[in-house]
Amino acid sequence: MTTIHIAIKEIKQALRDRRTFLFMLAFPIVLILILGTALSNAFSGSIELGEMKVLYKDTGASPALGGYWDGFVKAVEGENVHFTPLGKDMNGQEEVKSDNYVAYVEIGDEGIRFYGSTRNTIEGNIVQGMLTTFAQRYNLVAATMKTDPVAAQAVLANASAPHDIVKETALQADKAPGSIDYYAVAMTTMIAMYGAMSASTLIRGERSRNTAIRLSAAPVSKAEIFVGKIIGSLFTNLACVLAVVLFSKYAFKADWGYHMGMVILVLLSEVLLAVAIGLGLSYLFKGETARSIVMIFTQLASFLGGAYFPIGQDESFMGWISDFSPLRWANVAINKIIYSNELGAALPAIGLNLIVAFAFLAIAIISMRRREAL
Amino acid sequence: MSNVLEIRNLTKKFGDFIAVDNMSLAVREGEIFGFLGANGAGKSTTINMISSLLRNTKGEIILLGKNIAKSAKFAKSNIGVVPQDLAIYEDMTAYENVSFFAGLYGLRGAQLKERTVEALEFVGLGDKHKAYPKNFSGGMKRRLNIACAIAHRPKLIIMDEPTVGIDPQSRNYILNSVRKLNDMGCTIIYTSHYMEEVEEICTRIAIVDHGKIIAEGTKEQLKAIITDTKDIWIGIKSEDEIKVEPLKQIPGVASVRVEEHMVMINSKAEVNNLNLIIQQLIRDRAEIRSVEEQAPNLETVFLTLTGRNLRD
Ligand SMILES: Nc1ncnc2c1ncn2[C@@H]1O[C@H](COP(=O)(O)OP(=O)(O)OP(=O)(O)O)[C@@H](O)[C@H]1O
Ligand SMILES: [Mg+2]
Repeated sequence: MTTIHIAIKEIKQALRDRRTFLFMLAFPIVLILILGTALSNAFSGSIELGEMKVLYKDTGASPALGGYWDGFVKAVEGENVHFTPLGKDMNGQEEVKSDNYVAYVEIGDEGIRFYGSTRNTIEGNIVQGMLTTFAQRYNLVAATMKTDPVAAQAVLANASAPHDIVKETALQADKAPGSIDYYAVAMTTMIAMYGAMSASTLIRGERSRNTAIRLSAAPVSKAEIFVGKIIGSLFTNLACVLAVVLFSKYAFKADWGYHMGMVILVLLSEVLLAVAIGLGLSYLFKGETARSIVMIFTQLASFLGGAYFPIGQDESFMGWISDFSPLRWANVAINKIIYSNELGAALPAIGLNLIVAFAFLAIAIISMRRREAL
Repeated sequence: MSNVLEIRNLTKKFGDFIAVDNMSLAVREGEIFGFLGANGAGKSTTINMISSLLRNTKGEIILLGKNIAKSAKFAKSNIGVVPQDLAIYEDMTAYENVSFFAGLYGLRGAQLKERTVEALEFVGLGDKHKAYPKNFSGGMKRRLNIACAIAHRPKLIIMDEPTVGIDPQSRNYILNSVRKLNDMGCTIIYTSHYMEEVEEICTRIAIVDHGKIIAEGTKEQLKAIITDTKDIWIGIKSEDEIKVEPLKQIPGVASVRVEEHMVMINSKAEVNNLNLIIQQLIRDRAEIRSVEEQAPNLETVFLTLTGRNLRD
């Protein structure tokens, strides 16, 4: 109960602090808008794709088409696209609706019928693009066959290059992170890290205001104070982060994908990491030094994590060092969740965040126990 | 009367430096116990050990019959600390400040509300519930500092210089509050640099120097220690020409202080040297306006015992 009492006081103070609104809300939202619109050309939209599962049914009404289809399926399988024939009791459209498959395809006498998901996933778009290309070529072949069989052979030869089909459609996919989408994620993970700054003053602030005396003189354990403060800090920081997520989603139409829960889990683990780092550093360094170090750390992590502009994950020194930024872990994980529905990508990020967070919390706890007062 | 607080052989070392040196004392129920000492005497250090803010190096502290090292929670619950430096949140209202700290003592709901209102009322901030301390005068902040320490109705209230740097009106208010708290049954430990305050409100006084208690008792008892000196206060028109050294050479004179229109001399009681002093002053062309022989006050007691003034 006392823990909650302390947490509530922490939240009250944070919400009254103008800096909270400035740094945690106004700043990121303005930056998403400015960077998102100013740098919109810098985005090529190249992204990693997840597995694409397609369900199909060959009615056998058009053996010629069926033959081409089988060839297409074989060729495309290697490209992370998997085709499954429709089972007996399955309803193709239902399967797509319930997200088990990206698309459902029927091969009948009147040609190919495609049922894509109404949800606008990038994989759905790619599969649709591939099938459109396939169908166009088939129609071309069918038409040419009647007039010029030799030319038809050439078209067919072309069609056996599914690599091209995949690449082509991937580039045309309308679901790639636009600049607003990119900065919505980047700014959100950045302010999640800003939580370190307020956290670094959690205990130090009490000392400088002498209120640490009252806290230590009260019949409350250090653990209660510690936990109460962490809960309060987590709450306000997460609230700010969620506010930016929702604002960018609804006001800027930024794409946050379909797995909001997982994205929020990643963000929560990042906020915990930030709070732990801030708290830990405030015990490791005295007074203003702690503040400066936390400041430099968050700025560096933001810069390297790609908060201001994307930093390539290449072999260069920058690419290598950026892997040490917690923002990078979070950004990569969240983008994978959003653009390729790779929920598993959250695990390494969350795991790493938790491990580092607990290391810093341990530092804080050990130093706190050594002190006579807070 | 039973002892609320007992300190036995209490010692605190900071490295090699001994801040509190084998101190023993007892504070009885219902007392306003004064803690007098110059800067760095060890008052705050002692108080911090009593309120569990510092660990003692040696000795023991017994509060209401229980050793605080063994029953820290019990001890903390029964003590209210008014820290020497203001300890309030400027970004929280007066009400929220008191309510937050009282909540740390387990008060909740209606009771918390009631005690918070009561404490603010008590220090004269009843109409300032929603005001922020950043807009308060020094005196109001000091009073809020007190309110934060009393809402949980502690048995023992420890006030570490609660009247530093405030206007006389607030000071009177605070002194009256201390008396009122005492009337309501609180035992109080009061430290101050202001001799008059201690003399006015304390029922018993300990003089601390270099971490040791060098004298203890009621003010009458303390004054009785020094039957051998007297204070002579001589009013003069202008102190410009007064030379201190020749005065100090006069037999029996222990110390000389020259202030505005006043020469204050502390001298051995049995030496009759008033004539010599006056002659010297006339030689310095002082226009003497009054001569008074003072009964010893606590200031003199302090000076005699410690060899220094309470305030430098
Ligand atoms: N944490 C500390 N580390 C080292 N020395 C300390 C520490 N705290 C206090 N001291 C020293 O202990 C001595 C007693 O200090 P204390 O604060 O108890 O004095 P005080 O009687 O309260 O003085 P004041 O009237 O100035 O408040 C001082 O010489 C002070 O410098
Ligand atoms: Mg002190």
